[in-house]
Amino acid sequence: MWVSFQYQDNRRLLQHLHPVAALVYLGVLGGLTLVFAHPLYLLGLLVVILLAIQAVDGLKGWELCLKFTLGMSLLILLINLLVVRAGETVIWWGPRLPVLGELTISVEAICYAATMCVRLLDILSVFYLFNRMLHPDQVLRLFSRFAAQSALVLSLSTRMFPFLLREVHNLQEVLSIRGVDFRKGTGKERLQKYLSLFNLLLLNALENSLETAEAMQARAFASGPRSRYRKEVFRPRDFLCLTGSLLALFVTIYGQIYNYSTFHFYPQLGYLISNTMTLVVLGIILVLLSLPIIISWGWQHCPYFNARI
Amino acid sequence: MSLFQCQDLIYYYPDRKKPALNQINLQIEEGEFLLLIGGSGSGKSSLARVLAGLIPEFYGGRFGGQVYFQNRNLKEFKRRNLVQEIGIVFQDPEKQLVMAGVEAEVAFGLENLGLPPREMLRRVAEVMSFMDLEGVKQEFTAQLSGGLKQKLALASVLAMYPRVLILDEPTSQLDPVAAEAFFNLIKQLNEEIGLTIVLIEQRLERCFHLADRILLLEDGQIRYNGSPEKYSCWANARKIPLVPPVGNLLAQLGFSTVPLTIKKARQLLQANYNLREPSPLSTRYNPLPVVPVKANFKEGLTLKKVWFTYPRGKEALRDIDLQISTGELVAILGANGAGKTTLLKVAVGLLSPGRGQVLVPETERLDGRKKSKKNLGKRNGLLYSGIVAYLAQNPNDYLFHDTVEEELLFSLKNFQLEDQGRIEAVLNNLDLKKYRETNPRDLSSGERQRVALASLLVTQPRFLLLDEPTRGMDYGLKREMGRILTELVKQGLSVLVVTHDVEFAALYASRVIMMFDGQIISDGPVGEVLGQSFFYTTQIGKMCRGLVDGILTLPQALDRFESFHRKVKTGGEVG
Repeated sequence: MWVSFQYQDNRRLLQHLHPVAALVYLGVLGGLTLVFAHPLYLLGLLVVILLAIQAVDGLKGWELCLKFTLGMSLLILLINLLVVRAGETVIWWGPRLPVLGELTISVEAICYAATMCVRLLDILSVFYLFNRMLHPDQVLRLFSRFAAQSALVLSLSTRMFPFLLREVHNLQEVLSIRGVDFRKGTGKERLQKYLSLFNLLLLNALENSLETAEAMQARAFASGPRSRYRKEVFRPRDFLCLTGSLLALFVTIYGQIYNYSTFHFYPQLGYLISNTMTLVVLGIILVLLSLPIIISWGWQHCPYFNARI
Repeated sequence: MSLFQCQDLIYYYPDRKKPALNQINLQIEEGEFLLLIGGSGSGKSSLARVLAGLIPEFYGGRFGGQVYFQNRNLKEFKRRNLVQEIGIVFQDPEKQLVMAGVEAEVAFGLENLGLPPREMLRRVAEVMSFMDLEGVKQEFTAQLSGGLKQKLALASVLAMYPRVLILDEPTSQLDPVAAEAFFNLIKQLNEEIGLTIVLIEQRLERCFHLADRILLLEDGQIRYNGSPEKYSCWANARKIPLVPPVGNLLAQLGFSTVPLTIKKARQLLQANYNLREPSPLSTRYNPLPVVPVKANFKEGLTLKKVWFTYPRGKEALRDIDLQISTGELVAILGANGAGKTTLLKVAVGLLSPGRGQVLVPETERLDGRKKSKKNLGKRNGLLYSGIVAYLAQNPNDYLFHDTVEEELLFSLKNFQLEDQGRIEAVLNNLDLKKYRETNPRDLSSGERQRVALASLLVTQPRFLLLDEPTRGMDYGLKREMGRILTELVKQGLSVLVVTHDVEFAALYASRVIMMFDGQIISDGPVGEVLGQSFFYTTQIGKMCRGLVDGILTLPQALDRFESFHRKVKTGGEVG
């Protein structure tokens, strides 16, 4: 299941951006999903993120984000309806519950919950896009400039995590062969079974770590100051993507200051489009954030464009 | 001037009373290909680590004598300088890869050396191109096949431009085809680039012909140091089992010098024996005479039209029809990814087939309760029945208790069985009685494997499935494993072994199954399947193909060639 969340090189432009440009783009997308509460803006962002996911051939794996969000939606809706009393447009008066008080359902609470679901989907999708767009080594190389040791530890963890998952799976299989049924028994018994698994995992990990350490030593690890392998080149396309992302950020700040991109749910729902500037600001942000996607499309379909950027 | 020079080298691991290396005096010349052989615990890996500068720096312990590299004491080298002269590749590629991505892995050592970025770029590009890793440079190391992982481990060492390459059983995890490709690469590095190679290997038939010199270690001491041509006869005279099968045969046939390649061995046989004319094609492919197996399929394990697909969509098993009768020892051969391990996991109940059935006979279980086919058909019913046991590749996964006895008691407890002398019997059978109170993790690799096997056999299963049980074993340990399995089969157990070791399969299996791309492509008596295969056959089988048909193993070959002795031509030996 988690494989679809891993980076796979599909030879798409978005996967070959300079890590700074890619990280800024993803950072702006992620930041804006947290800043905006306006349903139109959040939906617009979702469209852009989906187009970007499509541009890295990742739509199939994204279905998992959608399924998770749909599952969480019910929970978000329920919590909102049970807890929030701020909405004035009540459409159903329910019984009085202990602790929670009188149960009411308002249009505002429903709309707020729905918007939060879109935001959740936005955030998950940005994380998904991050995984599909950036090779972990690219990110780590970037950060190794500032924190070399931490970046290496992180890299080792990234490398070892799938190995550890496989190891847990193998050990579970071996213990099953020896008659350990992890699904049966009381809580205490099951805990003991998992302790056996953990014990094995720890013993194996300790032995394996010695071998890894030896291999690292044999390749001169910690033998003196390290240098940094880098091969990233800053191209015109990176400049365009970076500029687009930063401009989108500035326009967002402008929209927020002048309330063109804000929205209030309580006590009563505000206007979805309070004035034309709401649409203008939204349009500009979306176009700027779509720049990498447009460039990616051109890179793939237009040889001249490809050669120039 | 020798490249390496060891003088009176002696080494004790920390807290050990017996030296791992004892009075080693050795010289290694520039550009030489040295094959380092010996049984488990003979000191091969220790010597390799001394030459790589990892002993005593990484391991500690007591160290005596001198080791010189290019006439300078190894101790005088700074580690950063030493790794640029001497590179080492270890046994398990999984544990020596550090970074998440392929390209970053190759660059890791170069970053540690503090090389300038431009130099790193050049070396990474050059090595990846030479090793043909360009196509996977963006891949995650975790997703590579075993062969590619080992190739990557080698590439990351080569990027540091060493003059000496030390390889510690680098192909023990690889299938025969990947191993062959790996050795071809090593040969190329030795012959075309002039690297000095020190290779440790257990499967001598894979690499004996590559070596310029053989070094045999025993109990930390050098027992043989000389030419590979003379080694087989020398070892044969002293009943040392560490000889490749063809060398062993020719030495036992009385040749004083043994050729290293199949081609020359064939020439030698043709020149010295009046062999019959090659038989016509039709008869050459006739099945070999084999001892018929006492098949009793009614009591056997049956896989009926079994299909299995992994969640990612890889069809691992396709339409498998297979029956293992009682008292059979069946070997499954095939390349990595052919579906061998998946087949074992389906047979034991760890994986449920997407289509088809796994059937075991209605049988009285150890606790006296009958387990019907119906019961076993339920999800995981077979898994927890205790009827089928499965020994996975890594025996360490079975060992976590403080003593061997506790390990066995753990299995009995899980299956709610009483001891009733079972532990005693299994320990006796597997020659583990003296280790009853020993921590299994303190034992040698062969002994650990026997303890893991004991933890399964103590519940008295009817079927035993083993995944690569001879991986990394020397000839002696393999022979011991073969003896144990043969004994179990005689006791009525059915044994199914997945292995890459064709020699082991030919010696001990009664039937061989070959798998390719999730399908069984060949299934029959050992002589028939291996005798007809071009690549998946024994070294002796390759040598005798077309000359004397129907020969796969050393006893068969000796038997047949001794009958030819009467027709020996006069004439010299081919060197």
